[in-house]
Amino acid sequence: MSLILCRQEPVTHPFYFEELGVRLFSSQELCYVIYHNPLLVLDKFVNQRLIDFIRDDLDMALLAAKLVNMQQEEEEDEELLVTILHECDYYCGAEINQFRQKLVSYKRMSEADYLKEKGDFLFTGKQYGKAVYEYQKILELKKGSRGEAAFMAKVYNNLGASYGRLFMMEKAYYSFLKSFELVKNQEVLKRIYHLLQWSPSLKPKDCVTSLLTEELKQECELEKEKAEEMAQKAASLKKLDELFQKDSIKRLEGAGEMIQKWKQEYRNIMS
Amino acid sequence: MDGLIIGLDLCDAYTHICCYDREKTWNIPTAICRKKDEDAWYVGEEAYAYTLVGEGIIVDKLIQMVKKDGTATLGGIKYEGLELLKIYLKMILKLPMQEFFSEEVKQLVVTMQKVDAKLMDALMYCADFLGIPRERVHIINHTEGFVYYVLSQKKEVWSNQVCVFDLSEGSFHYHEMKVQRGLRKSMVIAEDKALEESFNLDILKTASGEKLGDKILKSCGERLLLNKLFSSVFLTGKGFSRHDWAKDSMKFLCSKRKVYMEPVLFARGAAYRGMDYLREKTAYPYTFICKGRLHSTVSMRVLHKERESELLVASAGDNWYEAKSSVDLIVDNQDYVEFMVTPIDPKKKRSVKIQLEKFPERPPRTTRIGISFGFLDENTMAVVVKDKGFGDLFPATDVMIKQEVML
Repeated sequence: MSLILCRQEPVTHPFYFEELGVRLFSSQELCYVIYHNPLLVLDKFVNQRLIDFIRDDLDMALLAAKLVNMQQEEEEDEELLVTILHECDYYCGAEINQFRQKLVSYKRMSEADYLKEKGDFLFTGKQYGKAVYEYQKILELKKGSRGEAAFMAKVYNNLGASYGRLFMMEKAYYSFLKSFELVKNQEVLKRIYHLLQWSPSLKPKDCVTSLLTEELKQECELEKEKAEEMAQKAASLKKLDELFQKDSIKRLEGAGEMIQKWKQEYRNIMS
Repeated sequence: MDGLIIGLDLCDAYTHICCYDREKTWNIPTAICRKKDEDAWYVGEEAYAYTLVGEGIIVDKLIQMVKKDGTATLGGIKYEGLELLKIYLKMILKLPMQEFFSEEVKQLVVTMQKVDAKLMDALMYCADFLGIPRERVHIINHTEGFVYYVLSQKKEVWSNQVCVFDLSEGSFHYHEMKVQRGLRKSMVIAEDKALEESFNLDILKTASGEKLGDKILKSCGERLLLNKLFSSVFLTGKGFSRHDWAKDSMKFLCSKRKVYMEPVLFARGAAYRGMDYLREKTAYPYTFICKGRLHSTVSMRVLHKERESELLVASAGDNWYEAKSSVDLIVDNQDYVEFMVTPIDPKKKRSVKIQLEKFPERPPRTTRIGISFGFLDENTMAVVVKDKGFGDLFPATDVMIKQEVML
C-alpha cells in the first residue's frame, strides 16, 4: 500500500503502441505496457521512435542515451527493456527480476512455441487479426520445426477460433477441420457443429456430417443453451440495461461513449 | 533604471507607499474622486479638494467596499468597488514610478491590517489590470510587515521582544514579536491585538483630550508590556505624527527600552519583504509563526525510488495564500490518501485520511491521481483529488473529491 510519486513529464506527442492500439502518455504507462505484454515487446520494441519519445516527451535524456549506447553495443532486447523498467521507478527490483526471468523463458522456447504463445496472448487480448498472423507464421515454418501433431492441432484450433471471432466462418471451419483431422478431438468437432449452426451457408464435408451423431448434437444444444443463459447475465448487458433506464441526455451521452469503446475494440479485433 | 520594489500599506483610511532603498515615502488618504462632468480621476488630498469645490464625487473606504462587493455611482455610471480599487492603485503607483523614473515594478508587496482570500484575489485582479505579473505581487498583513521591518534593523533592536503601537483614525492596534532561537531553525513568533481603547484622533486637539489620550496609551502600555522584556517599542500611525500629547506614556515606554517613531513602518517592512523575494537565499531564515502564516507543516508519505519518503506539501511559517501546490501520484493498492499535519509542537502530530470514494476500481498502480492543495486561511487547507486515469489503458473519469482539512 503506497502512493508513488510521479515525475513531471511534458508529453506533447504520446507514443502510439500499435500492438495494443493505445497511446502512452507517461513513463508509468510505458512500464506497465512492457511489463504486462512481454510477448509484444520482446522483438525490436525499443526502436528510434521509442527512444525519441523517451528523450523528448518523457524528458529522460539520460535513459535515451543509455539505450542508444546499448543498441550500438548490440545488447539483447530484454536488456533494453529491463533498463527502461529500472530507470522509470514504477516496478520494484523483485518485480523486474521476475520480468527478466519471464523474458528468458520466452527466449528459450522453440520458434513454434514462441509464436503460439504470442498468438495465444494476442487472442486473450482480443487481438484476433494479429493472433491469426502469428498462427499463420507457424504454418509457414519448415515441417521439422513446426512441432508434433498434437501441437499443430492446437494451433489449427486456435486459428479457427480467431477466424471465427473475425467472422471469417469458412476459414474457421477449415482450420477446425484440420485440427480435428490431426487429433480427432471431440471438443473440436463440437466447435465445427456450432460453427455450422451459426453459418448455415457452410457446406460440411460428408465425413464431418457422418461424425456429427445425434448424441453429440444434443450435447452441443445443451451447451448452446447454457451459453445463452450466461450471456443473458453478462455484465456488459446489465450495463446496457442500466444505460437505457437513464434519462435521454445521459443515455445519449453513455451510448456515445459505449459506441466509441466498441469501435475501438472492433478496430483492435480486426487489425 | 531598474524596476522598483514597492511596499504598499493599504488601509481604508490611508495608503503609505515606499520603495526599497529609497528615502521618499508617500502618505495618501485612501480616497478616489471622479469629476462630475468628465472621466477624470483624482486620488488622496486632490480627491478631497475637487469634492470640496463641488467638481467631483468622492469615494472612500475602498477596502470595505471591495470586501462587501459594494458599488458607487459616479457621474451616472455605476462602479464596482474592485473597479475603483484598480483605478486607485493605478494612480497611486504612478507616484513612485514618476518620482524614480521607472516603468517597471519588480516586486509589489501590499500590507494590510487584515487580509482574507477575497481581498487577496481582488488585489491579484488589480495586478492583472496594472499589467504586473502575479508572481511579483504579494500580500502580507501588518504583523508580517512589522516583523520584516524589525528584522531588517540592527540586531540590538530585536534582541528581546519588540512591539508596535499603531494609532490611526478610529483604530488602535498592538503587535508584538520575539525571536526564539532553536537548534535547527529560529522562530519568529508574532501576534497582534486590536485594542478596545481606540479613540478619535480629534480629541488630541484639546488639552484635556491630550491628557485622556496619554492616559489611555500609558494604561495600554502598562498592561501589555507588563512582565516582559522589551528591547524596543515602535510607534506608528497618524496618532503619533506628533507625540507631545503622550508625555507620561513616553516616560513609561522609554524606561529600560528604546522607543522609535516610524510613520511608514508597515510599508517599509513590506518593501524589505519585496527585496527578500528577489534574493536567492532569504535574509530572514526564520519560521514565522503569526497571522497569515501556516501554523502546521503538511506532508505526505510517498514512495520515491522504492523508498518511502516525506513529501512536503506546505511548511509551518509559509504564507498561506502563496502555499499552493499540486502533485501527481499513483495509487498502489490503497483507497485513500493520507496527510500528516505537524504543528509547532510535534507531539500533536496527526494524520488526516481522505477516502477515494467513487473512484473506479482498477488494477494496482493504474490510477493516477492529481492532488491540488491550497489554503483558505492559516487554519484551513483545501484539497482537490482528481482521477487522472492511466492514459488510454484506463481512461480518466470525472470523479473528483473536494475536501477542507482543518489544520
